[in-house]
Amino acid sequence: MNSLDRLIKEKLQREIQARTRRHFIKDCVAGMGGLAMGSFFMSCNSFLGNNEKGKIALTERDVNPLASMAPPFPAKVKSVIYLHMAGAPSQLEMFDYKPALQKLDGQVTPQSMLEGKKFAFIRGTPKLLGPQAEFKQHGESGNWVSNFLPHFSKVVDEVAFLKAVNTDQFNHGPAQLFMHTGSPRLGRPSIGSWVTYGLGSENQNLPGFVVLTSGGKTPDAGKSVWGSGFLPSVYQGVQCRSKGDPVLYIDDPKGIARNLKKSTIDAINNINKKEFDEYSDPEILARINQYEMAYRMQTAVPEVMNINNEPEHIKEMYGVRPGKESFANNCLLARKLVEDGVRFVQLFDWGWDSHGTGHDTAIDLGLRNKCTEIDRPMSALLLDLKQRGLLDETLVVWGGEFGRTPMQENREGQEMAYKGRDHHGDAFTMWMAGGGIKKGASWGITDEIGFSALEGQVSVHDVHATMMHLLGFDHEQFTFDFQGRPFRLTDVEGHVIHEILA
Amino acid sequence: MKKKVSYGLLFIGIIILIISVWSLLKPSDTVDFSADIKPILNKNCITCHGGVKKSGGFSLLFEEEAFADTESGGPAIIPGNAAKSPFIQRLKEDDPELRMPYKKSKLSKEDIELLTKWVDQGAKWGKHWAYTLPEKVEVPKAAQSAGISSGDAQGFIKNDIDHFILRTLENNGLEPSPPAEQNVLARRLSLDITGLPPDDSLFNDFTTGKITYENMVDELLSRDAYGEKWASWWLDHARYADTKGYEKDMGRTMWRYRDWVIKALNNDMPFDRFTIEQLAGDLLPDPSVDQLIATAFHRNTMNNDEGGTEDEEFRVASVIDRVNTTFEVWQSTTIGCVQCHSHTYDPFKNREYYNLMAFFNNTRDEDTSEDEPNLRFYSGEQQEEVDRIYQWIAKNENREVAKAYYNFLQYSEPIYHAHLAKDYTNGNLADTKWLALRDNGSCYLPDVHTQGADHIYLKYSSSIDGTKVTIRKDNAQGEILSQFTTNRTKGREIQKFPFKRTDDKINLYIEADNDRISPKSATSYISWFAFLPEIKAGDNSGYSQIDDSFMKLLNSNTPTLPIIIENPDYQKRATQVFERGNWLMKTDTVEPATPQSLNAWNDAWPKNRLGLSKWLVSKENPLTARTLVNRVWQQIYGRGIVASLEDMGSQSDPPSHPELLDWLALRFMNEHNWSIKALVKDIVMSGTYRQSSKNNARLYNLDPENLLYARGPRIRLGAEQIRDQALAVSGLLSTKMYGPSVMPPQPEGIWQTVYNGGNWVESQGEDKYRKAVYTYLKRTSPYPSFLTFDAGSREVSTVRRTVTNTPLQALVTLNDPVYLETAYHLAKFMAQGSNVDNSIRHGYRKAVLADISDEKLNVLKELYNTSLSDFREKPKNIKEFIPFETGTDANLAALTVVANAIMNLDEFLTKS
Repeated sequence: MNSLDRLIKEKLQREIQARTRRHFIKDCVAGMGGLAMGSFFMSCNSFLGNNEKGKIALTERDVNPLASMAPPFPAKVKSVIYLHMAGAPSQLEMFDYKPALQKLDGQVTPQSMLEGKKFAFIRGTPKLLGPQAEFKQHGESGNWVSNFLPHFSKVVDEVAFLKAVNTDQFNHGPAQLFMHTGSPRLGRPSIGSWVTYGLGSENQNLPGFVVLTSGGKTPDAGKSVWGSGFLPSVYQGVQCRSKGDPVLYIDDPKGIARNLKKSTIDAINNINKKEFDEYSDPEILARINQYEMAYRMQTAVPEVMNINNEPEHIKEMYGVRPGKESFANNCLLARKLVEDGVRFVQLFDWGWDSHGTGHDTAIDLGLRNKCTEIDRPMSALLLDLKQRGLLDETLVVWGGEFGRTPMQENREGQEMAYKGRDHHGDAFTMWMAGGGIKKGASWGITDEIGFSALEGQVSVHDVHATMMHLLGFDHEQFTFDFQGRPFRLTDVEGHVIHEILA
Repeated sequence: MKKKVSYGLLFIGIIILIISVWSLLKPSDTVDFSADIKPILNKNCITCHGGVKKSGGFSLLFEEEAFADTESGGPAIIPGNAAKSPFIQRLKEDDPELRMPYKKSKLSKEDIELLTKWVDQGAKWGKHWAYTLPEKVEVPKAAQSAGISSGDAQGFIKNDIDHFILRTLENNGLEPSPPAEQNVLARRLSLDITGLPPDDSLFNDFTTGKITYENMVDELLSRDAYGEKWASWWLDHARYADTKGYEKDMGRTMWRYRDWVIKALNNDMPFDRFTIEQLAGDLLPDPSVDQLIATAFHRNTMNNDEGGTEDEEFRVASVIDRVNTTFEVWQSTTIGCVQCHSHTYDPFKNREYYNLMAFFNNTRDEDTSEDEPNLRFYSGEQQEEVDRIYQWIAKNENREVAKAYYNFLQYSEPIYHAHLAKDYTNGNLADTKWLALRDNGSCYLPDVHTQGADHIYLKYSSSIDGTKVTIRKDNAQGEILSQFTTNRTKGREIQKFPFKRTDDKINLYIEADNDRISPKSATSYISWFAFLPEIKAGDNSGYSQIDDSFMKLLNSNTPTLPIIIENPDYQKRATQVFERGNWLMKTDTVEPATPQSLNAWNDAWPKNRLGLSKWLVSKENPLTARTLVNRVWQQIYGRGIVASLEDMGSQSDPPSHPELLDWLALRFMNEHNWSIKALVKDIVMSGTYRQSSKNNARLYNLDPENLLYARGPRIRLGAEQIRDQALAVSGLLSTKMYGPSVMPPQPEGIWQTVYNGGNWVESQGEDKYRKAVYTYLKRTSPYPSFLTFDAGSREVSTVRRTVTNTPLQALVTLNDPVYLETAYHLAKFMAQGSNVDNSIRHGYRKAVLADISDEKLNVLKELYNTSLSDFREKPKNIKEFIPFETGTDANLAALTVVANAIMNLDEFLTKS
């Protein structure tokens, strides 16, 4: 068999495989049925170009890369809301209760703990710092939550904790990349991109993967944390902003009425249709489709991004701040987006890097304020999803890029005016809630000062494997060929964390 | 009658028997390892028996491993005896615990038969096609092509490329498409070569037959826009950007490298020289400034300024990136996996990665915040001064010493960075950047070779007077080598202090004393230390003037560019193998070497980057020329002959036209002497390229991706071209070349990063309308509309952009003010038409270089009429829609809407 034959054979095989999971556009009108442009495809002949006989075999994805697809395995959830606390929140003031650390407060850290460890800012021998919050057990699960999170402690039975998540990265940029792409170096697709690539979107008027950031800022690692890596860029996260255009260039130019934009797009697509008749290039059909979708997005995005029409009690529940790009607003938006069928909503919040270099980053002051900022909205998000019956089909994930040390930071070897903790990736807390999650579970135990995992240590890859599992993928089978090898989100690692699954 | 039938059947039976026996025995039935066996092994076996795992002690990655004894004692493959080979037996096992592939479904009957046959035929190992290059490829001329029905290929064959294409078309029962129409071809060619549509005069000269097609090709290749267009392609490879990347993503001045690329391409610098200068310009004898600029290729690696990060970790990350990038860019090989384990599919061993790393591990850059080494650009007057210093020292001392001073003025190396200091007492590496000692503070700077210098050079800043600095040999009790006072400085200054001569490798013990300051403040912030050879002729007349001038130049503010400079011997780093790729777990020390499976090393080459670059562009190297021709082909056809541009290994897509690839590669090296322009010309002169790109259902269903080239290329334009074309047809495009990157309008609030962001300061005047290649690229926040059209963020090397088709793209060309402005200017051109029909005709023709059909005209006319009545009804909309111009009427506003629609047509955004 010569190489070209094999090439063609392989390609055909790949396509057949792909098509078993998609459906052909059998009837061209019905296939483009969702589109107002359907009227252009009056008959199959016009769909096929000039005078040619036979059909152009296209998959729905050929003309719409965001066409929804079923996952290979039964899924527990349809969509994901990922709440990332950038900067790395302190597990020791929020969820991982360590009474022994309180007793050791102010004592010099034993040398044995420091050997072979690298810290970002701690130098020499630091002192231990006791928890700066008070803890209580809550709900039927009896899981511990600190007094920094009074609202969240009331919904604690909805979530499953991972108390011993481990990452090998201790700088923000690489650690955020690792958390979102499975690799601390650039170039890999983010989880949201993988998911959108694998499942498409349920709503063809909105992007499938939406990113909302508090204050509109970009994370340390840049936009790569929602980048599509080697996947087609149509699967990258679309940052929706609540100031300016919610999506870049989504607003019509001033002075152009909606009907005029409609006429413009109709004209463009009408001519493109004639172009298709001449060239029979399916990319033209895809472009017609994309212009239609752009037009619909122009209405749908501002609509979904507008929280003013929500009832007062909902706004109050989240504690929204109209006109601000606040975490509370973003939580409410996240609910609206998944309600409308968006596949993956990624939130980033800032200010969690509690080094103790000032008031805002002090463990007992700034961190407490940050907790107050997120406490009500994230609890409201869970309750609101639940009351709408959406929590069962949504996965909510909360975490940072790593955790913080039980030692007090001594930047440049000196005692600091405020209390802070340095970066620490050996054992930190994340939680998940929603479909398929064992409510009230807690997995992983850290040592008595919360420095290392004793039991149930899970890796970032394990977290990813679990997310994929809930979405109906086997993380080992879900691959994309690039650079001559199949790539997957979890690289060559990752195990589903069954202990937190229902 | 009946008998006749049975005889007939018997006869047919015999024929069938003969055919089948013959087909079993025919010599061509030899199983080919690369074509038949390797794909089966890669797909089914190698994950467990390959570079990562060697289950049962059996690996199929390398020949010697495959035939070696396994854990069960004997070899798994017994050449010539499939029946006795466990390798074959295990495929047929019924017991799923024993059968291979383990816990997977049984291999297909055909695959097992092939493997069996292969073992029986002696299990001949073979090299993957990409690792050897034939000496010569015959062009499949006449003989084969004569078979086609006459007329079909008439006029198709324009050069040798077409013979290769035609043969495959014939084998698949296809015919070439007719040639594209002249206007379509002119636009296609001009966009491919210069990234812009042809200007009116060139277009008219060609379409009226005044000049030939070849004339037009030559003309376009000679234009400056050629270098600008192809620079974008190469800058993707080079991961060129205007910022350092990572968290802080601070700016850095790299544009001189971008300009170097444009000039090199326009001058058609041969690709071998282009390679050597970028990878090893600094190692060439007496490198010119341009050759040093070229080395910035590998200074486009990111640099991490995030607080708390260790420079050495990110220096290593840069070196790793350089190894990976070099192999991806020149060898279509993803060597990155070999960092942790032997390559899973391809013949590269784990250790060989570190052999390659050893070539790159000895450069002076160390992830410092100032990006040293930086090449300095002096004014003409300053340069005269630099030359005068060189001449004086060369005359009074010697050339070698003069060169050291000259180099120090040029790029201030070699130096010892502050981050090397250890064991601080009352001091620290402030902000992970500067050596900062407080009162009574000390630290060590280990392993310093002063080369017998009589002065120590220091770059530092201080806001405090009267700090006594003492430098001792090795420790607090050691001999005093230097003692001096540092005072308040104006920013960061370079100063020198007398130093006791010593030839040994020593540790500098550095003390600082200043009891007049608070115990918490630092006495100074030191960036680096340096030593220069002694000028023994210091008593000669004129020295003090030279010395003053030298110090003045060192402290002058000049533009700079980060470059690559090799370590001097006494600063050489040993390269060690990292265990499982972890830079903290270092094991065996290795020497520079190239992978064994590729071309042999020539002992005449130095064992450094210069040697490596010569190895890459050696005509024996099987991958370099193939890689380049494949990528140039892809730029023009939208797909490579090997579609996986980044990988030609055994897992790559097989070449669609292997002989053509080899023929192009050999011709590129041997006949064109590595001329990229000649290669581009070959490709665009072919009949294959000049075909019409019109598709039809039959062609599409047979060959949806145009693998066989039965039609011409039809691809959406790249991000840069989409902008440049819009500016060009509207008459706004600036042709200004080179210089600092520009910031054309972008929406508010794009540049918001967590910490330092810098500001997007909108460029003024013609800088608003420069070609896209000059647009400032911030890695964490690239120009948004380019990103939407699939340009990358250049954080890592990109050899292939994935072309997508998304609604966000439509929003850019419909709504981005940049595109509205171009539409308005096209509309102004249209308004010169005598009536609406003519206006639309002119605008359409200007944009897509074709006459508009009546059907399309009617569609646009309807849009015009709708717009016109809309603007007439609401005249205040006119001013809102076109805010940058006064006195616009409803007609012009309506034409702007039409122009905007034209500039959103598929035929405008696509090269047909």
